[in-house]
Amino acid sequence: MAEVTPMEMIAYTGSRVLQDESIVFVGTGLPIIAAMHAQYTHAPNLLMIYEAGSLAPMLEMGMPLSVGDTRAARKATYLKGLCGVFELTQRGYSDFAFIGGAQIDMYGNICSTIQGEDYRQPQVRFPGSGGAGAMAANCEKTIAIMALEKRRFVKQLDFVTSIGYGDGSPDYRDKAGVMGSGPYRVITNQALFGFDEETRRMKLLEVMPGVTTEEIQDLVGFELIIPSDVKEMKLPTEEDLTLLRDKIDAEGYFLKRQVKK
Amino acid sequence: MKKIGSSIKNISQVKYDEKPLEFWGPTPDEARKIMVSKPKGLKDKRTTLKDAVQKHIKDGMNLGLGGFVNTRVPVAAVHEVIRHGVKDLTLSMQSNSICAELLAGAMILDPDRVSIKRAELAWWGYEIIGIAPLLRYMTSNGMIELDDYTNYGMSVRFKAAAMGIPFIPVRDHGGADMELINKGTMMECPYTGRNVYLVPACHPDVSLIHVTAADMYGNSRLMGAQCTCSELAMAGTYSIVTAEKIIPDENIRNYPNLTEIPHPAVDSLVEVPYGAYPGACYGFHWFDMDHIKMFRAASEEFRKTGDKTKLKQYYDEYIFGCANHEEFIEKIDSETLKKVKEMDGGQPIILD
Repeated sequence: MAEVTPMEMIAYTGSRVLQDESIVFVGTGLPIIAAMHAQYTHAPNLLMIYEAGSLAPMLEMGMPLSVGDTRAARKATYLKGLCGVFELTQRGYSDFAFIGGAQIDMYGNICSTIQGEDYRQPQVRFPGSGGAGAMAANCEKTIAIMALEKRRFVKQLDFVTSIGYGDGSPDYRDKAGVMGSGPYRVITNQALFGFDEETRRMKLLEVMPGVTTEEIQDLVGFELIIPSDVKEMKLPTEEDLTLLRDKIDAEGYFLKRQVKK
Repeated sequence: MKKIGSSIKNISQVKYDEKPLEFWGPTPDEARKIMVSKPKGLKDKRTTLKDAVQKHIKDGMNLGLGGFVNTRVPVAAVHEVIRHGVKDLTLSMQSNSICAELLAGAMILDPDRVSIKRAELAWWGYEIIGIAPLLRYMTSNGMIELDDYTNYGMSVRFKAAAMGIPFIPVRDHGGADMELINKGTMMECPYTGRNVYLVPACHPDVSLIHVTAADMYGNSRLMGAQCTCSELAMAGTYSIVTAEKIIPDENIRNYPNLTEIPHPAVDSLVEVPYGAYPGACYGFHWFDMDHIKMFRAASEEFRKTGDKTKLKQYYDEYIFGCANHEEFIEKIDSETLKKVKEMDGGQPIILD
């Protein structure tokens, strides 16, 4: 079998995590690819929300290159604007948020605003929340994708852009006034994480075949919960890879990107 | 009002200045007063972008940018604003790419012509193409003050303004650092007793919007994703609307449900085909990634080396070297325009 790239592994795992008969609010890139793959395989009635305003588009013109891409509005069932789709989310119509970010902490809080500690003059300014902060607050469950690197899985974020479980206290999200239940899965190229119900801390669920749990812990800047029953990540079949490479991202816009070591 | 907060300070060490609870543009009362003072009859609002910008754009104003990232973005109007010049701008937008970067580049090249003081926003970047180099340059050098919200936060701030209310409760921002750094505030809901976040209305002095089609009075249709364009048009105290196509008033009256911006919310109207180019306009053309990449590369070169040569060349060629948007589009080769038209794939729109 052809070698699976890290990006393909993330997209395929993202697809596995998504459920049929649900609505996913997708961010640009791998979330779109994962949701498209799920629709083509196990979740034909999974529907997407794109934040420029569309619900359940038919992506017959190919993968949208961004959530504002006009292709993402193609043959939607409902097409309004940002208020329209975020209000669907706030009201409880959106089951999954599918977002990325620059850093994540053990409670699933995510940074996509700045690097450095001074908001007024940061070392590096990222684009900002975009929809992510609202999606993480009000979609029912948040799925995050992130390359598994120590600089990204950190003890303390530089800035909390998208709320997870906050400081881990049981009423944090309630006090924050947000609606969704919070972080659900974190997908990386080498491991799949969930969250411990009791402590709300990140928990290792699956690892790539051949990778040890110690190796995963070494790539993470905080202590993971590592249960005894960690499973192996399921690998995409030849058919899945063909779908990803030749049908969904045929031009290689996202899947051909490299993970920095 | 009882000001409270979530426990955000337990998880974050971010350094920031607390922003006073104030508006970075007209207050709701000022905005209402201006609206009430305008004549509301149906009148031909068509003009040139030069005249519209001359009339409405003034130093120190809050400028609202329509569209979303690279969709139906008001590029033609932004070019004209740059040619005209304006200082101490406050930008307000949810997510934008090239419009915000074009204004930033104009400031870097000649701060006596164009300058941005601050921006209230959710996102500023190029998505798949990369980060926004000029935003990064300005923030790293402390040249701009930012006020961060989510895309819903900024959109609903325009919506609150369009609704004529001073603030609106939302279920996001709370518990994240935006609660600390932006102009929103947490309060206890008087009905449920639970925490709820409030964001202030955002009334730009002038909103720049590119619409699919409008009649000569300004009644506008938005085909494809509507972004936050109707809210933004109605939030602004004045608006400059460019339309891909002017259609007969009769068509508007045939399907009044399709009007997303009513005529009193439009002050100046200009028919500008390709007015969003190199951004996309659903039903007409897709975005031109190569052109955006070219501008971004010139910006990135400046950020990395400090060399403004290529950036200046871009402005000299495509903005200052053009009297209007038609001349800009004439500089884009016909193959490219044909290609972006094809890439739209004939998305269905209603013009009749």
